[in-house]
Amino acid sequence: MTDPIVAQDLVKVYNGKVTAVNGVSFQVAEGELFGFLGPNGAGKTTTVQMLTGNLRLTSGRATVAGIDVAREPLAVKERIGLVFQEGTADPDLTGRENLELAAALFRVPMRSTKTVINGLLERLQIADAADRLVKTFSGGMRRRLELAVGIIHSPKILFLDEPTLGLDPQGRAGFWRYVLELRKEKGMTVFVTTHYLDEADEMCDRIAIIDHGKIVATGTPSQLKDRLGGDVVTVRPTGPAGAPFETLLRGLPRVTAVSAAEGGYRVKVPKGEELIPTLVDACTRSGISLAGVSLKRPSLDEVFLEFTGREFREDEGMSATDRAVRLGQVQQAWGRARR
Amino acid sequence: MIRELSALTRRELLRLSRNPQAIATSLLIPLLYLLLFGQAFNIGNLLSSSPNGQVYLLQALRGAPTYFSYFAAGMTGFVALTATLFIGANVIFDRLFGVLKRTSASPVSPTAIFGSRLLAGMIQPVGLAFLVLGIAIFLGDIGLNGLKVTAAFSIVGAVEIVLAILIVSAMFASLFLAIGFSIEQPQSYFAVVNAINLPVLLTSAALYPWGTMPAWFQTVASYNPITLAVTVLRENLFAGATSYYPYGPAVYLGGLAAWAVAMFLLATFLAARALAPKG
Repeated sequence: MTDPIVAQDLVKVYNGKVTAVNGVSFQVAEGELFGFLGPNGAGKTTTVQMLTGNLRLTSGRATVAGIDVAREPLAVKERIGLVFQEGTADPDLTGRENLELAAALFRVPMRSTKTVINGLLERLQIADAADRLVKTFSGGMRRRLELAVGIIHSPKILFLDEPTLGLDPQGRAGFWRYVLELRKEKGMTVFVTTHYLDEADEMCDRIAIIDHGKIVATGTPSQLKDRLGGDVVTVRPTGPAGAPFETLLRGLPRVTAVSAAEGGYRVKVPKGEELIPTLVDACTRSGISLAGVSLKRPSLDEVFLEFTGREFREDEGMSATDRAVRLGQVQQAWGRARR
Repeated sequence: MIRELSALTRRELLRLSRNPQAIATSLLIPLLYLLLFGQAFNIGNLLSSSPNGQVYLLQALRGAPTYFSYFAAGMTGFVALTATLFIGANVIFDRLFGVLKRTSASPVSPTAIFGSRLLAGMIQPVGLAFLVLGIAIFLGDIGLNGLKVTAAFSIVGAVEIVLAILIVSAMFASLFLAIGFSIEQPQSYFAVVNAINLPVLLTSAALYPWGTMPAWFQTVASYNPITLAVTVLRENLFAGATSYYPYGPAVYLGGLAAWAVAMFLLATFLAARALAPKG
């Protein structure tokens, strides 16, 4: 049986110039919660837009629910739920009216529409505000309404594009609780993009890390962290870090790898807390004074650094779509200037 | 398709009904013209009340008993333009607020998305046009110049009036939807719409008495969609008006339908392009 989501060598080039997605391939198994992780501008939203039939593929092939997204985008849209990163509910309608509209558009049987809507409103704790205009909703309520709109037709596959963006920790936790409950009950396959590493680590069965339009690593959170080889101790000497210092670090017990980091070195070791006293002692004996030593347990931040060679920053760069829009604006301005 | 179309049309009408500023703005110019221009510019006062003077007046106004009556029919047709303007603007605001993105991501055809906006754009002006017509009659009851309907009521006449407003509204709704689906910034939209509004009104026969217009202007105005709609109204509101016009209401309705079809085709093309998967 085909996996619910299959991407084969997806490429998206905007305006013939900006490559947002560059040869992305992956499969998502039935019932899996698959995280697509990367900083802004990595190509996450572009990939979701292509998989959901809202953006043409430059090349490659994708099937969702066994349907080719390029050939039958409407058939794909019927079978999936999609929650966008921005608000898409009509602010001039009430919460209930938005759901009634979504029910009609997604062809929820008319006889069960009222029951479905009331059930979702109760479930997502927006029943009390259901008859208020959406423009009066709080951010958390709007997000929950977006989720309700996305799942009104009980899809078997749900795409969540940065679903908790801008929510406070409590709002994020609440949103995920609903998603996990629904997934368990309905056996949904969930594809989520996020740049919240803790969220991906905690919630996802499997993760793909995307950077500059390419997948750099795929695996379960544990597998990815295991690839780091244990804890990471970052050590910064007060003076220039030279070859003798690196040799000293490599000679310490149970050290598996040493690599240069900003102003110092990253040392991989199974148990960091056991290394630090030995390391400090060795440095003292060698006459090397230290500016700082820090210990990090394996985390997705470290995984990202390992595979991309740079720190993960949530606010890094503009999105690929924004870059394409900006490029278009520059081209228009250039055209006007030439005229 | 029918369910999606009616749900989206209901949504458009709900939004319009919850936007009293838009309704007030749609009515502002036609009502202001009725209350100021229509009251002050009563050319009948310049003519003698002799039989010859009255004959000339009837010829100049093509059967309307007073200039205000002639003008009020013009303003009723003009409402189709001012009321449909927001249908195009809503496309731009829906795009900005993500609503259009949500709708396009659902398994609904672009035809239903476009068709619902067109339907709402046709339905709303009918109510407003009859409101303007009612106010124009009411002004006569409070001692001001008012609309005098001299023709006998007929079902066919009433249907023709409603059809004229529906078709001219469909034509302008299509035009403004075409602009709304092509332009992304609200300020650009309103700049374009402002550039269209007055020229369309000023090249129509909504304001000027036919008898005072030079021949070349009469030719230009004959093809203006507001003129075509207003002519249907005047032929049905004023007794004997049909004898002053070269054709009956059906011909003008046909001309109006040709305009509406042309604008509809343009708008559907632009809407389909805007609603297709990007890239």
